[in-house]
Amino acid sequence: MSFLNIDNVSKHFGSLVAVDGVSMKVEKGECRAVIGPNGAGKTTFFNLITGMLPPTKGSVSLDGHNLAGVDPSQRVKLGMARTFQITEIFPELTVRENIRIPVEIAAGLRLKPWMPAGMGAVIRDRVEELLDEGGLTRIADRFAGELSHGDQRACEIMMALALKPRLLLLDEPTAGMGDDETHAIARLIKRIHRESHMTIVLIEHDMRVVFNLADRITVLAEGRPLAEGTPAEITANEKVQAAYLGDAA
Amino acid sequence: MTQLLLLAVINGLIVGAFYALMAIGLSLIMSLSDVINFAHGGFLAVGAYLAYSMAPYLGFWGGLIVAPILTALLGLLVERFLISRVYGRDPLYSLLLTFGLAFIFEDVTRYIWGAQSLPYQVPGWLMAPLSLDLFFLTGYRVFMIALIVLVVGALFWVMTRTRLGLRIRAGTLDLETVSVLGVNVRVLRNLNFGIGIFLAGLAGVLAAGQLGLTPTIGSSLIMQSFVAIIIGGLGSLTGTLLGGLLIGLAMNVTAVFLPSATEAVIYVMMALVLLVRPQGLLGEEGRF
Amino acid sequence: MTFDVKKQTPNIIVWVILLTLPLWIEHAGSYIQLGTQVVVMALGAMALNFLLGYTGVLSFGHAAYFGLGAYGAGLTLRYLAPSTGSAVVVGVIAGMVAAAVIGPLIVRLRGVYFAMVTIAFGQVFYFVAFRWNAVTGGDDGLTNWKRQPLHFGPVTFDIQSNATNFYFFVLAIFALAVAVMAFLLRSPFGRTLIAIRENERRTRFMGINVNLHIWLSWMISCTFMALAGTLYALLNNFVDPRALFWTQSGTFVIICVMGGMRSFWGPLVGAAIFVWLQDYLSSLTPNWQSFVGLVFVAVVLFFPRGVLGILRRRALE
Repeated sequence: MSFLNIDNVSKHFGSLVAVDGVSMKVEKGECRAVIGPNGAGKTTFFNLITGMLPPTKGSVSLDGHNLAGVDPSQRVKLGMARTFQITEIFPELTVRENIRIPVEIAAGLRLKPWMPAGMGAVIRDRVEELLDEGGLTRIADRFAGELSHGDQRACEIMMALALKPRLLLLDEPTAGMGDDETHAIARLIKRIHRESHMTIVLIEHDMRVVFNLADRITVLAEGRPLAEGTPAEITANEKVQAAYLGDAA
Repeated sequence: MTQLLLLAVINGLIVGAFYALMAIGLSLIMSLSDVINFAHGGFLAVGAYLAYSMAPYLGFWGGLIVAPILTALLGLLVERFLISRVYGRDPLYSLLLTFGLAFIFEDVTRYIWGAQSLPYQVPGWLMAPLSLDLFFLTGYRVFMIALIVLVVGALFWVMTRTRLGLRIRAGTLDLETVSVLGVNVRVLRNLNFGIGIFLAGLAGVLAAGQLGLTPTIGSSLIMQSFVAIIIGGLGSLTGTLLGGLLIGLAMNVTAVFLPSATEAVIYVMMALVLLVRPQGLLGEEGRF
Repeated sequence: MTFDVKKQTPNIIVWVILLTLPLWIEHAGSYIQLGTQVVVMALGAMALNFLLGYTGVLSFGHAAYFGLGAYGAGLTLRYLAPSTGSAVVVGVIAGMVAAAVIGPLIVRLRGVYFAMVTIAFGQVFYFVAFRWNAVTGGDDGLTNWKRQPLHFGPVTFDIQSNATNFYFFVLAIFALAVAVMAFLLRSPFGRTLIAIRENERRTRFMGINVNLHIWLSWMISCTFMALAGTLYALLNNFVDPRALFWTQSGTFVIICVMGGMRSFWGPLVGAAIFVWLQDYLSSLTPNWQSFVGLVFVAVVLFFPRGVLGILRRRALE
């Protein structure tokens, strides 16, 4: 049994079939990219994994847990953390506070009306560690809402990491960014993957990022699986070239 | 007893239709503009008092037509110069704005027309009972029902058959797309507000004939309209109509058996609906 | 723990003003009861702001819990026991229980819909107070009772006839309540509430049961609101259904906004302005209600951040 096991999931919106019988197995420690042309159903597929949408058919399981009927907040407790295509942060709080909240949640303090003895220092150290890892220390006291796009994304990724997930899901982490920012985010993801052996699934448009990061790639087209393999296999795949890389070139 | 119950049912439907008239206006505004118009009752009172003041010149029928139109014009102005300025901001601000307007409307009507209850003359032949067995069924009540049915029917026709109505309905579902398609959202919201206020003004004139005139006539009726919307389902005009009729019935039937629970019963109904179907009887899931 | 003077400045100013109020209020052309009323309304507004400003939930029905506290206290003194302490306890429990029951019905709702449902539910209590004549006195209000002196063993603290003593009694309760709220807001639980205000979706995807947190915040807020209501009843030795009419809810919201919803002391500043303004206007003109309405409109259009919001923005620039 793989770590993340997606078995034949489909999603229908009325008569529209957004995702049609997709299966995907992701091993522990793997970095998997999901790519496909616009309208391929990538985001819907992602939402089926994170529980934002219930699948019409098929099942998702994480480390042997069947996730049918498990809502997003419970999936987080099972070790799933995600970022969004449009960054979701706490705009009126400082970056440090943005990181501190998930750190406290991961420490099990979500309902604590006081700080347990000795926890204060532990939390503070962990927050500084994450700020440092994400390259956010220099902007830790600024309001998250005022940051550049790239810094907001880095903040969001570190917020997800603060939850100590076992599976990190990134929805187009470099969407709408310039070259420099794209590069910085790709480097950050690569470092996280290398240093913590985190299992990562990401949707991405930028092919340079995909080929740089992914161990394996799943290609979707019109809601159906088109191909799956290592970056080299995908580059060589004629079907993929025709459907996707072809019209990008 | 049977007759008492029959009376309660008929009265309930009349009162319910009246709540529906108010609630539909509120619901239109809330769905398209995300504004709870607390001043709705204020507009209702303005409609009623305008009809009262015009009666010596225009008579009952003239007032019935002209007062709601003037009220709607006032509504267009208020929307254009005040409410439209807070669109896109935290909904809190639009609520406070209409709240303040409600205070002002009530106080200004009191200032102009006085705090005392005023009688509103309805043509004598309308006040006569239709038959001796059904003594309570005056012509005015039948007329009220007929008029509300006509107006609500016309509104449904506008909403489903005319371009304006289709645009308003599309706008309540997805305002962004509608504006991308080249519809002027500002004008759309303005007209939609005007329609809602027209209904409030009409409800005011009708209420004046039945209840007489007091400055608090509006603020005493608005909560029932909220309950009608919540029970029926926000965003569904049919649902709101149904909600209005249901609470009218429930209040009047309860008044026969347990008078002290007359008002409380509709809140119990609301609690039950929220418990079982938070989106309301005919509301769509996931809107709120 | 170090004492940061700069951070503590607002707290010091607030407490110096409140503690010395009886010394100067009459020289300022006002009277002690008005000061007490400011503190009571400030407590209510701060309780509301716990939900409105710090959890980001739009409640427009808080007058109901204010009124429940008021009636709970009044009915206790009228029918049950001549004890101010019991009156406060009963009033607070009444508000808390009502909030606990209504909470599950509303926590799934958001935005204006939440506002509409809370204000509609609030009216139930209005109608009960209005209709249940035999017990509540109906529209005329609940009379024939008085707040009682406090007894601490052999020592008696006369809050019944001594208005200054009563002011300090109210201020002591205010201090306690405000300290608890401040403490909660600075805890991990409080930060989770702020996270919900900032971005509900993000918070949900951090594994937070948002509805549970909103329910708890709602309960806390309504409980302190009821506490404010009990003090309001004790202040006037009288309650009537207007204390829980829906327009009263709007008053609390405007107080929060006027003072500054994002500042801890904002509602206190708002309460001072609003209570004084209402007192002044109602002595000036019978049409004061229009002017209160104009205040609403002006705040929304010209001062949406409130007094402290504007001051803070100045300070940042």
